[in-house]
Amino acid sequence: MLFQQIINGLTVGGVYALIALGYTMVYGILELINFAHGEIYMLGAYLGIILFGFFTSVGLTSHSLALSFALTIALSVLFCSAYGFTVERIAYKPLRNAPRLSPLISAIGVSIFLQNYVMLTQGATDKVFPDLLGSAGFDLLGARITYLQVLIIGVSFLLMLALHLYVTKTRMGKAMRAVAQDKVMASLVGINVDSVISVTFIIGSGLAAVAGIMVAMYYGLVNYFIGYIAGIKAFTAAVLGGIGSIPGAMFGGIFLGLIESLGASYISSEYKDAYAFAVLIVILLIRPAGIFGKSTEEKV
Amino acid sequence: MKRFQMTAVFIFSLVVIVFAGCQKKAETIKVGVAGPMTGDQAKMGTDFKNGVTLAVEEWNSKGGVLGKKLDIVIADDQHDPKQAVATANKLVNEGVIGVIGHFNSNCSIPASDVYSRAGIPMITPGTTNPQLTEKGYRGVFRVCGRDDQQGRVAAEFVTDKLRLRRIAIIHDKTTYGQGLADEFKNFVADKAEVVYYGGIIQGDKDFKTVLTAIREKKPELIYFGGIYPEAGLLVKQARELGMTVPFMSGDGTIDPKFVEIAGAGAAEGTYLTFGPDPKNIPQAKTFIENYSRRFGEIGPYSIYAYDAANILFTAIKESNSTDGKAIMEKLHSSEFPGAMGNIRFDEKGDVTVSPFVVWITRDGKFVEYWRPGK
Repeated sequence: MLFQQIINGLTVGGVYALIALGYTMVYGILELINFAHGEIYMLGAYLGIILFGFFTSVGLTSHSLALSFALTIALSVLFCSAYGFTVERIAYKPLRNAPRLSPLISAIGVSIFLQNYVMLTQGATDKVFPDLLGSAGFDLLGARITYLQVLIIGVSFLLMLALHLYVTKTRMGKAMRAVAQDKVMASLVGINVDSVISVTFIIGSGLAAVAGIMVAMYYGLVNYFIGYIAGIKAFTAAVLGGIGSIPGAMFGGIFLGLIESLGASYISSEYKDAYAFAVLIVILLIRPAGIFGKSTEEKV
Repeated sequence: MKRFQMTAVFIFSLVVIVFAGCQKKAETIKVGVAGPMTGDQAKMGTDFKNGVTLAVEEWNSKGGVLGKKLDIVIADDQHDPKQAVATANKLVNEGVIGVIGHFNSNCSIPASDVYSRAGIPMITPGTTNPQLTEKGYRGVFRVCGRDDQQGRVAAEFVTDKLRLRRIAIIHDKTTYGQGLADEFKNFVADKAEVVYYGGIIQGDKDFKTVLTAIREKKPELIYFGGIYPEAGLLVKQARELGMTVPFMSGDGTIDPKFVEIAGAGAAEGTYLTFGPDPKNIPQAKTFIENYSRRFGEIGPYSIYAYDAANILFTAIKESNSTDGKAIMEKLHSSEFPGAMGNIRFDEKGDVTVSPFVVWITRDGKFVEYWRPGK
């Protein structure tokens, strides 16, 4: 049972981690909590359903499942990245030098707008993702693991690895770290701060889109308010790991998934949501900056 | 200039308010239809709305009631108790004569306080929680059964027909879900062992953790008290975990979305308790024809909403009054012909005959399967 619960927790945790990365990257650079991030994830899930439905209707799915799946992910990542980019340009960039509360409120506004926009265009009822792999899976050490769980765990770990390499090894990654440390100094040494911020939003939104599609496939059920609770959980994961820290978000997400899973099985499933927040409180009491966070001087 | 604009806006709003106030005065008899019209349970609300609309159209084509046309006021409670009280107050302020609704137990019960205080009768087509009619209100009725009846039928089916002895029970912590699960537990505990009893969170999507814990207890059947989105996910995820035991739930699950969410393969062979299939009731034939012609496929609660509306209109007609108290007394004292068969209310406002039977999911469709007492 323990192994099964760990697999369950890793699946959910991988998704939390992918969303948490978007929160933490934006916070690291702008010190803004992007409350609209959960909605980007929700858009990704919807796009997954819409695109996949389209590919099925033109017959691509029956021709090649893998190809239509890859195309669905690619297009939906593109679309959501464009959304992330646009949201930043419209809602946050004009407020870059405004008091810190203004972009926060703008973010909440974008979140409400996107939720209602999707509700009006896609309807208020649940949408169902076609069941592709069914309950196909295999048994390992007494646990039943579906191929979809393997896919979700695999994809999320691969993406996290790729992001880690991107941030530590490339020029753009270096520029991101520089902007996160000090925007003014970074611009003085010739880094285009605006484009770094845009890239951050694009990457974060792309990761959220992948998370959205995977969740839509895993649960098979999508509605316009899934972004809210997922956003809160991912935000908790980001804070748990130390907001602003990329490894922190990865760790926080997976940790949160495991805590929920183990808490629900060994204590009681009725208070599943409470365990995550209880642990958050304990960790913040011991390490106020989060597990991986560095306590910095107050900038304000 | 700015001042002028403000004044203009103010005068304009006044004009609008006055016109709105003057709009049709007491030309019609208003009835409220309340339920979840938006959100994940919108399907149930739409069934209510369509069933009542059909009844209203039929009455209006025959000249209405007491020489007045009937008019529907729709109220969306979003299956939220707070919203239910707000919409109930709104319906009262709109001057409705009676209300058909609500659907969810945790909405119907607080809303019944509002209607009773205002002296308006309410007939729910779908709330099965016993508490609703145990409060002693004269004006609260239901055309469906009660969860204690439903739980007993389910328990009888599990222990006597299927002869299963190890039962896991899950509920969604709502008034309806937990109430039904408790009733089932009470009845089933006589003859079987309850190996797991616990709640899940409504709106959650991941139940693999709780199902993994249940799998350890090796139950022979999983019973769920709750609504179809969670029921669908539970069945789907149980099958993904390799659990093949039968799954059973209550009337909150009877919706095509349940099969869609669970997947036709996973949903195959799941049981639920609900009223008898209208297709097997001779009196319901005309209703089914008219309803399908007007709205398409008949939903599980369409016929209950239709009957509830017809009963209310008949009571208004026979009491020859739009006074709430007179209508309530009529509702308590008469027997009403309905598409589901004749209906009579007892002192509490419950139907006198327990209507529950067991249904099974076959090839993605719900089929009536077993009747108690045979």
